[in-house]
Amino acid sequence: MLGNQMQGGLGTPGALSHAYVQHPPLRCDIPDIRGLFYDDANKFLIAPTADRILYWKIVPSIPPGPPNSDPVNEGPVLSVRYSLDHKVIGIQRSRHEIEFRNRETGETCSKKCRADSETILGFFWTDCPTCDVILVKTSGLDLLAYEPQSHAFRLVESKKFNVSWYLYTHESRLILLASGMQCTMFTGYQFSAGGIVKIPKFEMMMSKTEANNKPVLAADDVHIVTVYGRIYCLQLDRVSTSLNLYRFYRDAVVQQCTLPTYSSRIAVSAVDNIIMVHQIDAKVVILYDVSLDSYAPVSAPLPLLVRGLPSNSRQPSQTADSQSSAYGGTIYGDGWNFLIPDLICDAENGLLWRLHLDLEAIAASSSDAPSVLEFLQRRKSDASMVKTTCLSIVRTIILERRPVTMVAKAMDVVLDSYSRLMKMGGGLPGVRRTHEQSQQLGSQPVEGSHVISQETSPATTVSPSVNPDQAGGVVNRSAQANSGVDHGIDRAALNTSSDSDEITNVSGVTSQGTSGYQTSDAINKRQQVAGEDSRPLSSGTSMQHGQHAGSVAISPIEMFQSVFALVEDEMMGDPAYLTAVIMEFLRSASKAGLKVPPNIYVMMATLLARSNRYAEIALFVSNKILEPSKELAMQLMELGQHHPPTRKLGLDMLRERSLHHDYVAALLQDGYYLEALRYARKYKVITVQPALFLEKAVANNSAQNLAAVLSFFCEFTPSFKATSDFGRYRHILSEMV
Amino acid sequence: MGLSTAAAGDGAQLCVFDLRRGQQEGQELDKILFFHPADCPILLQLSVIGLCEGIVTFTRIFSPVEDCEVIESEKHSHIFYQAEPDIWMVLVVEKTKDNELTWRCGALQGILKEAHSLFAMFHGPIRTLLDRQPSAELARGHLRTFLTDYLSDFHAGKKLQFPTYRDCLKERGTVQMLTVSREVALEVQSLTTVLGSCLGNTTCQSLVLFEDLLVSTTLPPDDTLNLYTYAVLRLTPRALSSNASSWSYLRKGTSVNAGPTSSSSNGTTAGERPLLREKLSKGKDGFVAADFATTEVRGAVPLTPILWFQQAEERMYLCIYQHKSLTILLLIPASSLINGEEGIAHVKKQMLENASQKIVTVEQKLTRGWGGENAYHVAGYRYLLVDPDRRISRASPPGKVTTLAKDSLLALNRLRQEVDLEKSRYKRSDPCHDNDFEVCIRTKSNAWVIAKITRGRELYMALEKGGETLLYASTAVEKFSNRYCEGAFSTD
Repeated sequence: MLGNQMQGGLGTPGALSHAYVQHPPLRCDIPDIRGLFYDDANKFLIAPTADRILYWKIVPSIPPGPPNSDPVNEGPVLSVRYSLDHKVIGIQRSRHEIEFRNRETGETCSKKCRADSETILGFFWTDCPTCDVILVKTSGLDLLAYEPQSHAFRLVESKKFNVSWYLYTHESRLILLASGMQCTMFTGYQFSAGGIVKIPKFEMMMSKTEANNKPVLAADDVHIVTVYGRIYCLQLDRVSTSLNLYRFYRDAVVQQCTLPTYSSRIAVSAVDNIIMVHQIDAKVVILYDVSLDSYAPVSAPLPLLVRGLPSNSRQPSQTADSQSSAYGGTIYGDGWNFLIPDLICDAENGLLWRLHLDLEAIAASSSDAPSVLEFLQRRKSDASMVKTTCLSIVRTIILERRPVTMVAKAMDVVLDSYSRLMKMGGGLPGVRRTHEQSQQLGSQPVEGSHVISQETSPATTVSPSVNPDQAGGVVNRSAQANSGVDHGIDRAALNTSSDSDEITNVSGVTSQGTSGYQTSDAINKRQQVAGEDSRPLSSGTSMQHGQHAGSVAISPIEMFQSVFALVEDEMMGDPAYLTAVIMEFLRSASKAGLKVPPNIYVMMATLLARSNRYAEIALFVSNKILEPSKELAMQLMELGQHHPPTRKLGLDMLRERSLHHDYVAALLQDGYYLEALRYARKYKVITVQPALFLEKAVANNSAQNLAAVLSFFCEFTPSFKATSDFGRYRHILSEMV
Repeated sequence: MGLSTAAAGDGAQLCVFDLRRGQQEGQELDKILFFHPADCPILLQLSVIGLCEGIVTFTRIFSPVEDCEVIESEKHSHIFYQAEPDIWMVLVVEKTKDNELTWRCGALQGILKEAHSLFAMFHGPIRTLLDRQPSAELARGHLRTFLTDYLSDFHAGKKLQFPTYRDCLKERGTVQMLTVSREVALEVQSLTTVLGSCLGNTTCQSLVLFEDLLVSTTLPPDDTLNLYTYAVLRLTPRALSSNASSWSYLRKGTSVNAGPTSSSSNGTTAGERPLLREKLSKGKDGFVAADFATTEVRGAVPLTPILWFQQAEERMYLCIYQHKSLTILLLIPASSLINGEEGIAHVKKQMLENASQKIVTVEQKLTRGWGGENAYHVAGYRYLLVDPDRRISRASPPGKVTTLAKDSLLALNRLRQEVDLEKSRYKRSDPCHDNDFEVCIRTKSNAWVIAKITRGRELYMALEKGGETLLYASTAVEKFSNRYCEGAFSTD
């Protein structure tokens, strides 16, 4: 039921899918271009022509207009990467040569390798302090520093070993280098602003075939994915058709689990910290949320939807085929490249899509409200929608009168999430995430560990490029990054990380370094606790996180306005249930250390009075469950019109809060004019009209009291004698005597 | 009057009679519903009741609205309480030269009120019993067992001993609350919600006590008071371990169960004799119930007592659960339980399943915050605070009150007696208007006894070894008020 109510999304009549791409896509099928490349560090989609480089900057959103362009020399292009400061374009021209062009001066220089003994697999720009470009060759890594004045590259260091292929994402700042007969032996480095972290060598699992011939692991089958600031790697084992999930720590690489697959080819995206595993043959996508180290899919495998197609509007079940025909390509077609973290490039048709989660549909697919809320509260994208959905879930469970304990859990989730955000200094979503992460990591702290993470800035993405040749193949339309190095975008190659986070469990690297956000206390604590080396490598915050900063969190005020105030009328038939729910809300808020608006107390008191539960009002006022406020005091006096003890509670509250004027006025209203007078004298309350006191004294028909009140005001307010009140009441007094 | 000789062994008499019965000559005996001591000669009983009836009728001439409260004669005091229309309870106490037995009329009347309220809670109004069975056997039977059990608490040796001036810093007929922090209060309410849902659709009411103090209630004040009184008399851990000396004001010294009580107890159940102390115990499952192992169970009588709630206007089953110092009284509306004991067993099971965890948590938190018997002691003060609206009071711990000089206590008792009179005078003149007043008296032994009533709330205190100026006394009150009463008694 939740589902039906929440679903309002376009094009998802009947939960057809939990992930979609939005029509129309970016069209990049410009004539004359020679392939598409993707620079994951700068998030540039790059299309070289004979003498120019065209590029679209596709963050934060896919731009509608024509691409930017840079003149370059003619020649073959195997990959393109802009430097992180966008001043230099690196173009891989062949398996042995990379050309660097200064965009301002047009100066070029090139870096070659020995043609006989080694080939260049690719390159990328880095924000690591000691070097700017990493050259990946079959014989190892060259770390180069760029010298802007001379527009030259200096070799800083060379790391020698055999490399069959490599994988790099700027998001993770992590490079994995495959070697060995089966390409299952991996060496890894994280090149982050915090320095260089070497990850211990590790081997990936490959099942043996019956024939006992040893399959070779392909670059296409390994994907680096960065979620919640942690770095994972997914490796497809084609023989057993399963997917191994590894997590990187500074001092270790730990296999987390094995996930089932339904396809001989998979692709991986990360959208809003959800891992999407595309089962390409089966044309479905499976979602995982690993935040709590749970590796169960978020929901059943469902197809990917293209939203907003003209023909798509009202048909409940749109098959992939019909969608494809509508947009002119094939869903999960051969031309699809998956770009890090959440893009799909249809190289055949020159289209670029961004992947989205249909959070409403996901929320609708489960009736376990507390876990749905937890899931939603972890999301960063589309904060206002998430918030609306969360509020509506809470409203719904109340209106459906679900058990109070369950509603209480839901309140806990919502308010905990808010208080976490507040503690983190508000508004930095990244921070919050990190905090969670760190909890989950349970890693042991190591000293000195630096996380390799980097910020989103200009790192390059390395696609898992194999050899340049292969890259070339990809070519037609591969996307590439500006700044630095280029790699062809093979589809396989593209697991990028958009932001940096890295994670290694491995040796005591600390994750603190780069990722600024990680500094949260929690992390520190964790680390201390754990004491050992295995800290997760953290990646910096991802842009994704950053962009949609944390307005997902729901404040107590919003809970009041958008939940309690709205359900109040409908719950009139069952005030006891609503008061129990509000009580749980107060408990959650108190536990989370949050203040709630006084209105909620006013509502609570009203509900209790309506069911004649005056004794409980008194109890709750006395033990401060109903926190004193002027609003509540006024409401208690109102509710106490026919229940004097409750009215007294309100009066007392006014006095305790030192609301002198209101207290005096209320005393007067109840006829206690002498008490009011004494109080006014003590606290110098001069804002209440003398006439009100005098009127009460007259009503009391006591000449003595009237005389006393009159003479009091003559002394208390010197100007009183000049007023008409004085004359009038003296006249009345003289008649009474 | 020859009353004193016959009553000499006991010193006090308690009778209940109905003015609507026995109005024909020769049938006077029919008026008597209860008489203590039971072995008092019939003629003497008739004489006491005849006198009382005469006084009641006579005073009505002058005061048709207000009942006669007390008649003081040379050797006795007669305390009157009209429990139900035309049903009177009268307590006759002997006066001696010994001023140890100086009491306060209001305190004794409080006993009659309490006895009747408790009776009505367990058995329903007396009038209803009489209407149901005009021969009055039922009413007499219930009154006999119930009041005998009730009076057993006042036995000291062979005599009944009622509260004296030494108890002037106690207020019968009020609830003592435990002060808890907001956080704990919220936990307790959360527990209350769970308790309330044990029955599914119908909400169960509940009281939560910690030691002998009330933590939370969902019942209206009168019902809360009755149930609380019962709990403190018989159900809390302290009451259950009846051998332990009690600091509860309700019992003084070790209680001795009178012979007649136990001898007539055979074959009765908790439903009929809720005040029978030795039958109640805590079972292995944590529920407190009457122990029937030694008793023959009468088939039709429910094991779980059913209570009549005047304010809540419902009959409910009472389940008592105890975890360490925490006592939970769960009330299950009788109308929603069709299958009696079986249904109750189900509710108990539900309660254990749903609430156990919370009960443990709440008990821990309360224990952590518990200041012990002297938690509410305020150094230098001996005080009693009463909020009649909410029927709650708080007082200096009894152990501290005993340190006061006899003279101070007697003076305070006198003062309270005066204040009682003053209050009823005010009440007659304008029942809706609270009148404030304050009395500070310097006693012969240089102590201050103080009474202050502000906006309906009452504060009584005795200050010894203080300064001699009135300013000292009123400053002391002001300080106390600001510090412990949120300024409720502060001078305007």
